[in-house]
Amino acid sequence: MISLNGYLIISFCLFLAGMTVMIARKNIIAILLGVELILNAAALNFAAYTRFVNQNLDGHVMSLFIIVIAAAEAAVGLAIVIRFFQIKETIHIDDATELQS
Amino acid sequence: MDYTISSVAPIVLLPFFAFVINAFLARKGGKATIAAVFLSCAAIAGSSVYAFRIFKDFVWGNYATNYHIHKFFTWFDLNGGGQEFTVNMGIYIDNMAAVMLLMVTVVATMIHIFSTYYMKDDMHYGRNGRFFVYMSLFTSAMLGLVLSDNLFSVFIFWELMGFCSYSLIGFYYEKEKTGNANVKAFMTTRVGDVFFLLGIVAIWTAIGSVGFVDIYNAVDSGLFTSTKVLGMPLATFAGLCIFMGTIGKSAQFPLNVWLPDAMNGPTPCSALIHAATMVAAGVYLSLRIYPLLEVGELTTFVAYIGGITAFGAATIALVQTDFKAVLAFSTISQLGYMVLGVGVGSYNAAFMHLITHAIFKACLFLSAGSVIHSLHDHHTHQHVQEMPRMGGLRHKMKYTWIAMWCCTLAIAGIPFFSGFVSKDRILGDALVAATHNPVMAVPAALGFLGALLTAFYMCRMMFLAFHGEPRDKEVYDHTHEEKLSWNRNAPLLFLSIFTLGVWFSGSLTGQGLVKVADYKNGKYEWFQTLIEAPKKGNFENYKREAFGNTDSRVKDSFEMTKYDKQHGLSEAEYHHVHKWHVIGAIASIIIAFSGVFIAAMMYLWKKWDPGFWVKTFNRYYRTLQNKYYMDELYIKGMIQGMLLPFNNLLAKLDMGIYDRFVVDGSAVATKFVMKIANWFDNLFVDTIMVDGTGASVKFFNLVLRTFQSGKIQFYFIMIILVLFGYILAL
Repeated sequence: MISLNGYLIISFCLFLAGMTVMIARKNIIAILLGVELILNAAALNFAAYTRFVNQNLDGHVMSLFIIVIAAAEAAVGLAIVIRFFQIKETIHIDDATELQS
Repeated sequence: MDYTISSVAPIVLLPFFAFVINAFLARKGGKATIAAVFLSCAAIAGSSVYAFRIFKDFVWGNYATNYHIHKFFTWFDLNGGGQEFTVNMGIYIDNMAAVMLLMVTVVATMIHIFSTYYMKDDMHYGRNGRFFVYMSLFTSAMLGLVLSDNLFSVFIFWELMGFCSYSLIGFYYEKEKTGNANVKAFMTTRVGDVFFLLGIVAIWTAIGSVGFVDIYNAVDSGLFTSTKVLGMPLATFAGLCIFMGTIGKSAQFPLNVWLPDAMNGPTPCSALIHAATMVAAGVYLSLRIYPLLEVGELTTFVAYIGGITAFGAATIALVQTDFKAVLAFSTISQLGYMVLGVGVGSYNAAFMHLITHAIFKACLFLSAGSVIHSLHDHHTHQHVQEMPRMGGLRHKMKYTWIAMWCCTLAIAGIPFFSGFVSKDRILGDALVAATHNPVMAVPAALGFLGALLTAFYMCRMMFLAFHGEPRDKEVYDHTHEEKLSWNRNAPLLFLSIFTLGVWFSGSLTGQGLVKVADYKNGKYEWFQTLIEAPKKGNFENYKREAFGNTDSRVKDSFEMTKYDKQHGLSEAEYHHVHKWHVIGAIASIIIAFSGVFIAAMMYLWKKWDPGFWVKTFNRYYRTLQNKYYMDELYIKGMIQGMLLPFNNLLAKLDMGIYDRFVVDGSAVATKFVMKIANWFDNLFVDTIMVDGTGASVKFFNLVLRTFQSGKIQFYFIMIILVLFGYILAL
């Protein structure tokens, strides 16, 4: 039986991995992947706490919300990236320093 | 008669308004100038009508020595803070003022009328009007002085007259001599005026008022003797100071130098200065403050000043060749008699001499003007004033000759003329004073000697000018025959009527109180009855009223002043006084006639040669001709000896100390302060504050700019760091 700490450690590892990706990678799509990892760490947290602490469905519902939001976020983010690529012909993050096109 | 403002003020205000209007009219020239001249004459004539009303009320209506009118209004009132400072202005008319008013206005009217003749030549320069402007102001100032009820307003009018005399003496300002003369007159009288002002201040601080009546009352209550100023009684100090004003204005001994030079002005203005206004004011003032002089024991001093002036000026007049110079010195001499009269205590005789002298001296000066105006040198185009070039003029100008002889006899003290009446009384009182106090013998003797000289030099002048053969034939031939004219001879003849003694010693009032023939019954002259030195008893009817109030005096309560036979003296004293008066009268008659006789022997019959005396006493003759070197004394001693070194000292102080240390020093100090301020400005304001603000903004800008890189990963790191920091801080 895996205890709560196990889930939390995995969640923390996921979070650290996402954060590292977000900081270290220069590719925008990779950064979006990092964001997905962080969101998944958060969803795992919700599920684990619900399972071990209050044993109702709130955490699960919140996890589902997060999965939906992550999907929507990925869609919007990819759309922005594609548009960005059309304009700049690159998806390097350091080129995205200006708000105007 | 009610003494409201409308019955008294016109006396002063008519000439004053004439002055104001003429000041604008006079410069226009042409018809405007003629209007100005007419206005001046009409104004003074009108004010003489008002003066005559007052004279009539006082002399015929009331006829009491103690009749006073005193009306006043508060001029300004600065009370508060425990300080009392109220200045009242008003009029104070007693018998003396009433007589004086009539004299001034009538004499001034005559002089104005004569001026229309004398100043006719100046018409086309537009100067005629200017002359009348000053004449009007002059007369109005004198009338204001006569009416004044306090020393302060006297001083105001006094200074106004000083200014007018300055302007009139310097009327022909394009001549350098004239310009010097008016400055001299102004500065010399100023010496006296400073003391006068000092006296006023002294009285004011002591009794809190400068009204004549308040002064008299304070004298009676002994305030003037109990208060001490500089170790002497206030009466002595104030009396001396105010009498210094008289010395300056009336050209008494130490300050007499200005009056002879004053004849540089037009002759009618000399007549006004010498007779009615300027010099009369000084004597009038000393009569007004007579109680002060008496209480302050200054009478001996005053008598000495008067005696010295009377004699000294007469001796100078002996040798003058200028027609007007003789008259100028005779004025000083006669003023000396008046002051002598004040000094020996013959109050009303001094005042009578003031009046009689004003009339005959005005007439003399106008006659001199008439003579000078007719004599013309065709080479230099100047009027002839030198007596050696005259002679025999009686054939050419009869009326002037007659008028001038009347006045000459009056001034010489021939019986039945006015000068005899007044001068004899002064000399008689001087004799009486000498018997009481041997110190007074000197002024009395000087007075008698001066009378001899007066008779001599006046007749000398007459004989030289009008009698004998013409010495300068050319001038004589060019002189026109005199025709009777209203503005040339009428004033002379009118004034010469009043040189008769009967007007002053006889019955003028018709009240039976005084008659010239009734001498034996103790009935004396109106003049002597009415004019009396201010005494305590005289103030029981004294009433101070505001203008506009009707006269609330009960006139019936006045006792008609019956002249008591013995002047209020004891029997023995009365006989003593009477005896000396008779001796004085006889002596002065003898003296007057002998003076005339000597002059006639020298200059009319030519029995005695004046050249012999000149040669024998050459040194004295020169001294006299140079007026005792008094001008030189003033220039060498006073101006060069004292004023110039003092001036230089002041200049040195100014240039050496004030300029060097204060002016230049302040420049250096300012420069130094400016240096500091400059340094402060550069360092603190500019460098630290202005530039510092910029630099600090630049610095923070540099720091903050790095946070705004736009790099999302950087932002993210920052977010993470802040988050971790927050968690750690928890």
